[in-house]
Amino acid sequence: MDRQGTRVVVVVSLIMLASLIYAFASAPRANAIPAFSRKYQTSCTTCHNNFPELNDFGLAFKKNGFKFPADDESFVKEPPVLLGAKAQKEAFPTAIYPGELPGNLPIAFRYSGFAQYNSKVPLAVGFTPRTDLFAPNTFTIIAAGSFGPNISFWIDNDISTGGSGAAGGLGDGYIKANDIGHWLHLPKDALNVRFGQFELDLPFTQARTINLSDYDIFDQASVALANPALCEFATPPPPACTTNNPFVFGVPQRGIEFGGYPNDGNFTWSVAILNGNNDGPAARNSKDIYGRLSYTFNLERDPSVRKEVRAAGPTGPRDHTSLRIGAFGYYGRNALNIGGSLFPALPTIREPFYRAGGDFRFKYRNFELWGLGMFGHDTNVIPNGPSDTATGFVSATPVTFAGGFAEAEYWVYPWLIGLMRYDVVNSPTDFAAGVSRRDTRNRFSPGVQVLVRANLKLAFEYQHRFEQPIPGSAQFFRANGFVIGTDFLF
Amino acid sequence: MSTMKRAILVGGIFGGALFLAGIAMAGDVKGKVSVQGLRSAENIAVYVDAIPGKKFDAPTQHVTIDQRKMAFVPKVTVVLQGTTVDFLNSDSVGHNVYWPSISGNKKLTHNLGTWGKGEKKSFQFNDPGVASLLCNVHPEMSGTLVIVSTPYFAVTDSDGTFEIKNVPPGTYTLKTWSEDGKPTTQSVTVGATAANVELTVKK
Repeated sequence: MDRQGTRVVVVVSLIMLASLIYAFASAPRANAIPAFSRKYQTSCTTCHNNFPELNDFGLAFKKNGFKFPADDESFVKEPPVLLGAKAQKEAFPTAIYPGELPGNLPIAFRYSGFAQYNSKVPLAVGFTPRTDLFAPNTFTIIAAGSFGPNISFWIDNDISTGGSGAAGGLGDGYIKANDIGHWLHLPKDALNVRFGQFELDLPFTQARTINLSDYDIFDQASVALANPALCEFATPPPPACTTNNPFVFGVPQRGIEFGGYPNDGNFTWSVAILNGNNDGPAARNSKDIYGRLSYTFNLERDPSVRKEVRAAGPTGPRDHTSLRIGAFGYYGRNALNIGGSLFPALPTIREPFYRAGGDFRFKYRNFELWGLGMFGHDTNVIPNGPSDTATGFVSATPVTFAGGFAEAEYWVYPWLIGLMRYDVVNSPTDFAAGVSRRDTRNRFSPGVQVLVRANLKLAFEYQHRFEQPIPGSAQFFRANGFVIGTDFLF
Repeated sequence: MSTMKRAILVGGIFGGALFLAGIAMAGDVKGKVSVQGLRSAENIAVYVDAIPGKKFDAPTQHVTIDQRKMAFVPKVTVVLQGTTVDFLNSDSVGHNVYWPSISGNKKLTHNLGTWGKGEKKSFQFNDPGVASLLCNVHPEMSGTLVIVSTPYFAVTDSDGTFEIKNVPPGTYTLKTWSEDGKPTTQSVTVGATAANVELTVKK
């Protein structure tokens, strides 16, 4: 670390520390409260133990269509606007089935801004500034709620990212019909349906992660190792040979999802039909499918405690001691060369692919430990000759990768949380493409998060990354980084 | 009737008369609290301060403070030192009750734990002072328990009026407690009829 870089880090750290001291010393009269807080006039901590992470009550709230798990109406402080008296249900179908609107506009805003200090990156790789103050800047609008007992919705849109005027985008935008299995005499919430754009029912969310950086495995895409012998024949060389599959887990997908948690219990399931082009419009005719199963073992000794939404702790309610295990899988058929875009005389290339994995989450008092492992496999098909003379396709080595992460979280105090995370990805094609020194690339990311207020967080994360080759040399470097920033909602 | 029996009868009549006279002479303290710089005159505790040389037995009847719709009900409660308070949970969510101190004395902090709907936990408050009642999973919830040394107290209603019943004749020091205002002290003399007082609580 050079002197100037050291000085900048010290100054930024002192500013952040001063802000922290000031914020703690201040005595606010009122908390800023997003949509659900306003509806129930309750603090964020009712549902979140480290926002946006949900505690057991928050999870039950979400599963119940963004309503309190029991006696919801008695807790609502902003009564809804009735779009028809409840008795209108009897008049249906000669009248529109009655619904309701949230009593207040169910909108919240979120801002995240981070400062970053980067280790020295060789110029041969490209210029990377040593420090970057307050990037990415993300301003998100969130609207969520229910239109009555069985319909809920969620919309979040990044209005601004990476600085003023930068392109934002819709994250999740879906409507969900809850407990439609009721009409089939199925257990409560055994069957729900949501439609729109949404993050997959992942074991661990990326869209609403507590971390300052993505899970590496969720950002992994399959890109084939180009066959130089074949690609060199064409003039100009095609942009890529084959197996450029844009699908990644960490981006919202568009589709329809069936799922449920019978009797709001410990078993959950979901099956989704998707476009498979991340948050873009459909780029091929085929649809993908994703499925997940999980079961939570409630490890509380007292059977009566297991039935409660949260366990009774000596100093207040707490999450149940539990172990959740799950499995997930994704199948799709990537399509390339549609309309001869790569190889004009050849038909569309169809490359089936799948992702499969397992996950676990363990909770005990102030400690949580979770992890995921995943394997990805893409069929790789390449033309049987130079692009201008090829007559068909042949199978090549599939593109595969594997990896996952493990993370631990510990609450020293309700407002002071320590994190430790390990990410690993094994990708021979990425290695061959010069992404990393070895097939396997990993990183360690310790962090600390401070809830200055229930809706305002200061977060710190250090990223110790894998070795990357320096182009044109036999040496390597690590793109380590230290990120500090602020995240708040109102 | 023997002399002894006559003496007992006269003594009994005289004692009964004195007793009845005591009841007839106990008065009420009525009044109104007005505020300066505060949002409302509601939920201000008004009580007779400790009477030198006079101690009161702890009542046998418990006082109940409920947690209903994510709020302490009543918001402000006054009890005589030694009273046992039952903390009831009428909500279908788990609550807990704790207080970080009593009048700033952190040694008197206590956490009652967690209990569900329809259950209650009790605690006997033997130390005078003010306890801020909190729930550590719903931090927006707060209530106040004011523990005083005499059984003569009241809490103002929405327009600041209060009534303290059955105060024996005498001159006392009347005190107030409010969440955002400074304590007020005023002398009051209680006779055979109700004493009317006007108090002002300032921020």
